[in-house]
Amino acid sequence: MAYSNKVLDHYTNPRNVGTLDKSSVDVGTGLVGAPECGDVMRLQIKVNPETHVIEEAKFKTFGCGSAIASSSLATEWIQGKNVEDALKISNTDIVKELSLPPVKIHCSVLAEDAIRAAINDWKKKHPEAHAAAAQSEVNQAEVNTTA
Amino acid sequence: MLCWSCRQPASGHFCPSCGKIQPAQATDYFSFFSLPRKLNIDLPSLEREFYRLSRKLHPDLFARGSAQEQEWSTEKTSQLNDAYRTLKDPIARTGYLLELEGVKLEEQSRSATDAARQTGAEKKQVVPPDLLEEVFELNMQLEEMRMNKQVGEDDPNIVRDLQQAQQHFEQKLNELTTELQNDWNEWDALIPAGSTEPQDQQARIRVRDKMVDLLNRRSYIRNLVRDVNEALS
Repeated sequence: MAYSNKVLDHYTNPRNVGTLDKSSVDVGTGLVGAPECGDVMRLQIKVNPETHVIEEAKFKTFGCGSAIASSSLATEWIQGKNVEDALKISNTDIVKELSLPPVKIHCSVLAEDAIRAAINDWKKKHPEAHAAAAQSEVNQAEVNTTA
Repeated sequence: MLCWSCRQPASGHFCPSCGKIQPAQATDYFSFFSLPRKLNIDLPSLEREFYRLSRKLHPDLFARGSAQEQEWSTEKTSQLNDAYRTLKDPIARTGYLLELEGVKLEEQSRSATDAARQTGAEKKQVVPPDLLEEVFELNMQLEEMRMNKQVGEDDPNIVRDLQQAQQHFEQKLNELTTELQNDWNEWDALIPAGSTEPQDQQARIRVRDKMVDLLNRRSYIRNLVRDVNEALS
């Protein structure tokens, strides 16, 4: 099967391969799998405790070229975003960017899952992040009702 | 149904009265071979039936027949090949049955992700997390061993480690095969004599979902076996 140039680029020159300290309170780890093909992907994020901005993202993927490219791209995209914005990345964004064919859509799904899982893991270590997100929603709701 | 040619009652691929080929129909692979949806299949008799039908349905035999008969023979021959290829392989057969039973193996992960995105909840992984951990670890080890092998191919320790890993994965794959055989037996026992499908709907779904879970886990182990064999070759 022919890979797009962007997939080949990420595959031959993957960004941000590596490991972060799983036990650190500022690190979230997501380990996910795609049963369709047996691929496994680990994505880790280091989050700034003040700003909730993802300062560093690392991944390690065992799978096909599309899975590696999807996770490489995902780490590039989430670095510099705050966690709430990173959660807005969906697999269809990745499909479009990498021109993935239908049979490889599950690879992009895997990358979205990995982002989500890593952020959830980080949130578990930071219960106040939940509260902050909920509070900002409440404030937003108040603004909407008073406007 | 009546035979299109002699108007006598007909079922199967050929009319029992006049022997003419019957219209090709959209059919599942089990029905094509007149089999119930059972997972234990007698492979030698499936193979005999495949060869018998291959000969009888062969398009060459219909070169002098009507255009319709030619078309039916071509279509049935193609169905026959697909059906045989799928049913003779135990894993393909199981996956096919699960799809007949309404499971979309290729889409289960995406559906779960869509659901998680909408609710904001954590996605339910379709395989247990501890298996993922184990598979990830094994992949890390395997990668290290392969890299070592690349730089110092003759190191007997590395070859030994790889062989141990190979045994370990193959044993796991065998365990899953045994487990699958048990599920097959359970499934087949749900199909009463004279019936082609399970009648107990609750049990039908329960056993079906067990097999989905098993095939999901199996695909990870299968990859590990493939990779370690590659590293050793």
